[in-house]
Amino acid sequence: MPILTGRVALLLSIVWLLVAAASLPLPGEAANVVALKSADVDVYNDALDGFKSVAGRAQVSEYDMEGDLQRGRRFLARLKSGPKPDLIFAIGIWALQVVIEEIRDIPVVFAMVLNPSAVIGPEPRNITGASMNVPIEQQIALLKKTSPHVRRIGAVYDPSKTGFLVKQAERIARDQGVRLLAKAIVSPKDSFAALDAMQGEIDALWILPDVTVLAPESVQYMLLFAFRNKIALLGLSENQARMGALFGLSFGSGVDIGSQAGEMANEILSGRRAEEIPFTTARKLKLTVNLKTAGKLGLQIPKEILDRADVVIR
Amino acid sequence: MDERLRAVLCLLLILLAAGSGGLADAADLKNTIRNLYGGQGILVEPLPLPFPSQEARFQASSLQGLDQLNSQLTSAIGVPSFNSSVTGFTFDVERGVPVRTTESLGPLLTERATTLGAGKLDLTFSYTRVNFTKLQGKNLKDLELVFLRDDANGNGIRDTSGPFSFESDVIRARLNVDLTEDIFALIATYGLTREWDVGLVVPVTHVRLIATAHAAIFDQFGNPGGTKFGDILIHRFGPNSSQPDASGGGEETGLGDIILRTKYNFLRGHDNVIPDLAFLVELKLPTGSEERLLGTGGTNLTGILVASKTYAQWFTPHVNLGYEIDTKDTRESAIRYALGLDARVLPELTIAAGLIGRAKPDGTGTGDHIVDLSLGVKWNPVKSLILRTNVQIPLDKNSGLRADFIPTVGIEYIF
Repeated sequence: MPILTGRVALLLSIVWLLVAAASLPLPGEAANVVALKSADVDVYNDALDGFKSVAGRAQVSEYDMEGDLQRGRRFLARLKSGPKPDLIFAIGIWALQVVIEEIRDIPVVFAMVLNPSAVIGPEPRNITGASMNVPIEQQIALLKKTSPHVRRIGAVYDPSKTGFLVKQAERIARDQGVRLLAKAIVSPKDSFAALDAMQGEIDALWILPDVTVLAPESVQYMLLFAFRNKIALLGLSENQARMGALFGLSFGSGVDIGSQAGEMANEILSGRRAEEIPFTTARKLKLTVNLKTAGKLGLQIPKEILDRADVVIR
Repeated sequence: MDERLRAVLCLLLILLAAGSGGLADAADLKNTIRNLYGGQGILVEPLPLPFPSQEARFQASSLQGLDQLNSQLTSAIGVPSFNSSVTGFTFDVERGVPVRTTESLGPLLTERATTLGAGKLDLTFSYTRVNFTKLQGKNLKDLELVFLRDDANGNGIRDTSGPFSFESDVIRARLNVDLTEDIFALIATYGLTREWDVGLVVPVTHVRLIATAHAAIFDQFGNPGGTKFGDILIHRFGPNSSQPDASGGGEETGLGDIILRTKYNFLRGHDNVIPDLAFLVELKLPTGSEERLLGTGGTNLTGILVASKTYAQWFTPHVNLGYEIDTKDTRESAIRYALGLDARVLPELTIAAGLIGRAKPDGTGTGDHIVDLSLGVKWNPVKSLILRTNVQIPLDKNSGLRADFIPTVGIEYIF
């Protein structure tokens, strides 16, 4: 009996492998990829261009949701009723949201999504992709390089939005020899008290990609707090640097993020499972340095940072 | 059938329908004023023998006056400019999401540098009403033309005393001109690439021009009837002369001048300071009958540099500067400029305002520099559907042929 069981198991394994192999595109046959775009914006189009440039084997059909979740759902419903594509490429958060709702049996690669873990959830899914998050290591390193006195970095966050990010950041900060002092808030107005409680306790402030924190009144208060306390503020964009943050650090290239996703798609189309491939963060970054702010804070920005900056506001 | 294909087919059908209307018999609506009094000017009653005939003494002057007014009126009826729509999304880097922007201009206003987007088709149907009320600051309902007679005794002047003082008699013609345009325009814009739009404007125009005139003869002192020789009026209307009351005109409907347009957005999102830049080229074709006042009869080529920048994702100022070449009459060539802004005051509501101007460096004296204020609203009640309304208010009614205000309403759908 054990021999028989072993043979049955072997047979089943072979059948499974054959089925799995049959589901993969044949060598020389172009894989069928459906690209679902959240809306028609330049960075999404760039990401699609980057994806196509890398996923050369794939035949990519595009569909623009035009910012309409219902439209995306209707499209996916039609898609499910016909021949299934080999892979779905979801560009932007809205496309990823509807794909998560509607698709279970087709591998998914996303691109240009901020905080994808918050969208996808902890449950393992046949989904991976290239986020537009900036690597936490680089953000903390940047603040550290600003001044040797930076030992404590403050941040406010909404645990329901970026709790997972703060946990990672605390670990990374520890590894880099600094302390992350993160105050939880549940609404934008809480940020005032949270920041006031950090007065004198932090050497730099970091704006997290958290929609609760990004309310205009919160951002304004963080800018004010940084000026009053003469500490560096790391923002999320050139726009925030122009508003007065010392730095703005964001993803640098939609094309490159699309390329990252294309590389993942190639792996999946070669037989690897999506859940085995970890999400990536942006490889190319855009750094904006506001020297006017540096002057007001009495900070001398190291040459190493200035050399690396893409935009310097003088 | 694909939605966009269906839309294009509808557009072609409308084009064909409009085109067939435009080829109907051409009436001479353009010469309505010129043809008042039979097209030969004003003739007065011949004097009985033995007096020399004076019947054609006002003919040249009246012909010239009517011609001039006719030209002033008809050359000033232009084709309104139409903007292409820009709707869509911008990207919020901080939140990582697209932000819907109902980025609009009024339908008769300025251009923005941004384009529609690859593969997008925007169809707009608009209606504009133009009720002209002023010509060079004068009320069209009460225009006065004064016709002088020619020299009778050959001394080179119009005598004001003596036996030839009748040379100073004048004919005053009071005209009431009712001139309106109803323009139904189909505006189609298609995004060839992310940066490159092509489009066309197909106007179907209804023009109404009705002119009535009443002429009367006065002497040099303003006394009605003119100078008498004994009991005989030297100049008078009678059974063998032009009649003092005249009228003419009518209504025409048909295809107007089609405009082909293309816009290339060569600089976008460079940084937070440098504006987005585009170049717009428009070609206006003489598809509208000039005689029926449906078109200008000439081909115009326009190039416009467009600069715009969106701030805080809701406020977009824009500047346009260009030159329009009128190949038929270079005196009508004009510098075109505009300064405007639009603001997304609510997620689905955009207001727009702007100054739109046109200056003719070598103009004829009629409407050489006109400036309008344009105010508009766009409302996006459901996805892809936009309702738009706009009013254009002439800021200087002493220049050119002007309306008190020009309202436009439109409906727009993006496929």
